[in-house]
Amino acid sequence: MKIENTKAQMRKGVLELCVLSIISKEEAYPSDIIKKLKEAKLIVVEGTLYPLLNRLKNASLLHYTWKESNAGPPRKYYHLTDEGSGFLTELNKTWDELNHAVSQSTKTNA
Amino acid sequence: MNKIFNINLGGFPFTIDEDAYLNLNQYLKTIKSHFSDSEGCEEILEDIEIRLGELFNDQLKGRQIVTNNDLEAAISIMGKPEDFGAESIKDDHTHQKQSNTSDYKKSKSKKRLFRDPDNKVIGGVCSGLAAYFGLEDPLWIRIGWVVLFVTGGMGLFLYLILWIAMPVAKTSADKLAMRGENVNISSIAKQVENELYDISDKIGNTLKDFGSKKKG
Repeated sequence: MKIENTKAQMRKGVLELCVLSIISKEEAYPSDIIKKLKEAKLIVVEGTLYPLLNRLKNASLLHYTWKESNAGPPRKYYHLTDEGSGFLTELNKTWDELNHAVSQSTKTNA
Repeated sequence: MNKIFNINLGGFPFTIDEDAYLNLNQYLKTIKSHFSDSEGCEEILEDIEIRLGELFNDQLKGRQIVTNNDLEAAISIMGKPEDFGAESIKDDHTHQKQSNTSDYKKSKSKKRLFRDPDNKVIGGVCSGLAAYFGLEDPLWIRIGWVVLFVTGGMGLFLYLILWIAMPVAKTSADKLAMRGENVNISSIAKQVENELYDISDKIGNTLKDFGSKKKG
């Protein structure tokens, strides 16, 4: 069993939560999201993000609007839909539970 | 010296070296075939093109021409399709799709039977068979065929069936699959290069013939 795989699985599990949270704070365009995810070392290659955004959009958790930019072509800015906000609240709840559960079980093991 | 192309990548204009252009084209094609099953394929590709455009712009810093180095740097940031599509979690439904795509990919890199349009005498069936069985020269298969034809006439029938059944190897990827070589960026680039050399050889020979005929 490779530790890298397990680590990658853990990161993947929280990726959707993080992407939705980033977008919930302010509308974001993919390069902003990438920057934040990279700072948090949540993604290794950028290509991971685009299929994910597309999936969330198709599940109508996100929608985007085109905005003009000073440098280059118009950009896609993503927002949460109402459905997306509900989804995020649920995920946050689960995350808190998980967080609690993990700290509980690691405490007793120690 | 290098030939250059002008391209529009995600709305940014770029001047790009020929080899970088070919590799970029191939990279985008691999991504496209990777996502060909998912409904947002075109959109994902478009987003990735826009991002590649931004990455090139960051790297160029006033330089004029996108080179292979720039492309490689951008690809290392963006990642190869096998690093991203399969990695993200999918629900069961899409997961199944994913495994189907990887099956498809596997079958693609396997050897496949094609007619070989480059070495054909009639329909390219014999040369295709020779490539499939890894023979250097289709001559022996051709001789076998003639023997079959002369002895019983079965050869003609069989040839016609195979001619109809075997697809012709049209693209570079087909030709690689015909010989059972792996289909990836570098192998296709090699194939394209070989074909370009062939074409320039042919043109050269025709010109020479023409010249000697004129003299004669």
